[in-house]
Amino acid sequence: MKCDVLQRNLSLFLYGELSFEEEEKAQNHLATCAECQAALARTEQLHQILNVRDSEVPDGLLISARKGLRERIAVEKTVRPTVPFWQKLEAWIGTPSWILRPAAAMVVIGASFVGGRMSNVPVASAPTVIAEPIAMTVRNVATDPSGNGIQIALDETRQRIVQGSLEDPSIQKLLLVAAREPSDPGIRAESVEMLCSRSQEAAIRDALLHSVEHDQNEGVRLRALTGLKSYAQDSETRQVLSRILLQDEDPGIRTQAIDLLTQEPNADLVGTLQQLLRDEENDYVRSRTQRVLQQMNASPGIY
Amino acid sequence: MDETTLIRSAQAGDQDAFEQLVRGYDQGVLRLAHRLLGSSEDAYDIYQEAFLRVYKNLHQFRFDCSFQTWLYRIVTNLCLDTLRKRKVRKEEPATIETAEGPRDRMSMVEDESAGNDPQRNLLSTELKQRIDSTLKDLTPRERMVFEMRHYEGMRLRAIGKALGTTEEAAKNCLFRATQKMRAALGDFV
Repeated sequence: MKCDVLQRNLSLFLYGELSFEEEEKAQNHLATCAECQAALARTEQLHQILNVRDSEVPDGLLISARKGLRERIAVEKTVRPTVPFWQKLEAWIGTPSWILRPAAAMVVIGASFVGGRMSNVPVASAPTVIAEPIAMTVRNVATDPSGNGIQIALDETRQRIVQGSLEDPSIQKLLLVAAREPSDPGIRAESVEMLCSRSQEAAIRDALLHSVEHDQNEGVRLRALTGLKSYAQDSETRQVLSRILLQDEDPGIRTQAIDLLTQEPNADLVGTLQQLLRDEENDYVRSRTQRVLQQMNASPGIY
Repeated sequence: MDETTLIRSAQAGDQDAFEQLVRGYDQGVLRLAHRLLGSSEDAYDIYQEAFLRVYKNLHQFRFDCSFQTWLYRIVTNLCLDTLRKRKVRKEEPATIETAEGPRDRMSMVEDESAGNDPQRNLLSTELKQRIDSTLKDLTPRERMVFEMRHYEGMRLRAIGKALGTTEEAAKNCLFRATQKMRAALGDFV
């Protein structure tokens, strides 16, 4: 082996990644060549200094990653049926699943048929997936009154996935509940946004009016306001808009409320705008209010 | 329980077996992702995505390669995608502008430890900067092979399988990477 060939391959030599013959040749050459021995020492040093960078994973990252994975898998289990039984069977007996699948299909068809005869609910299109309990508390443990066993009373919390269209009254009902879910503004915002496209329905419009006036989160209030755009002439909506114009902490929402109210300017609005101008601290909202009052030929102050 | 039994149990839905299987490899996966991507957030994301894919697709694992190869195929693909995106976006500069001029992100953390020899620190900082910038100049594949061989100690045969290529191709990648490292770091030796 020549010096230049060996010297180019010294890293591979140190990693032990040369072939058996190449390594033999390299060792034979190194035994007699001082120049290549020096080059080998330099390469060893190079490998060592590369370890300066050998950074450790920060403390706690592995633990939080494992925790995160457990949570994601728990979610995954609720939206995805568990492993089909023919795959479980396959894992158990080691038979390829394609052999078992037709048999499984027959069982499913059979079950649907029997289910269809026994009830009017179509088995194949069941809209819900019920997961394993995500929380469980034992409430009572007692001997079975018959004396043959034990009775355990459990409180279980389960997650249920419900699917359907926005036209579906049961979906609407759940969205209306979710729009007031106190613990998660993200869920409220999503629900309100979905409800916005059905604001022609009175119950949904009421929910949007409630959100726009009372929700703690400005993102949710803003979304609810979007859903009310087509109802700026409606008297109840105008009353709520007038109130939020004077009460809402967010200048963006106050500006939006002005825009909606001035789609149909009327005399009632003048007093509200004059009051707003008196108390408003935000320069943009003040100038916007002044401009609207000018357009309405109204004076800026209350006399 | 041996690995084959663990995999079969996990395939049958045994959650404990799945966790045990994950724990056999997850430190290595996290370390590789962290070193390759240089960020805890990215390493965390790769960990989640890789093992979630394992969870979702384990029933398709047919034992036609080792579980490690199969897992690292997933991990390396995810890391390569991230590295390639970074190459395109040129995101996350390795240096931060300070009053004293641009400084390496990592060195700023290191420098905070008191009682170190300043001259040695300076040399170490410069060396780390040079290693980091040379690694960033490698192609994503060269980088991946180099990291897996040098820092993770994986054999080229296993690296080739994980990357869906031959041992010879992985060897060529490693050869090119080491040549570039030697050219860039020669004056430190």
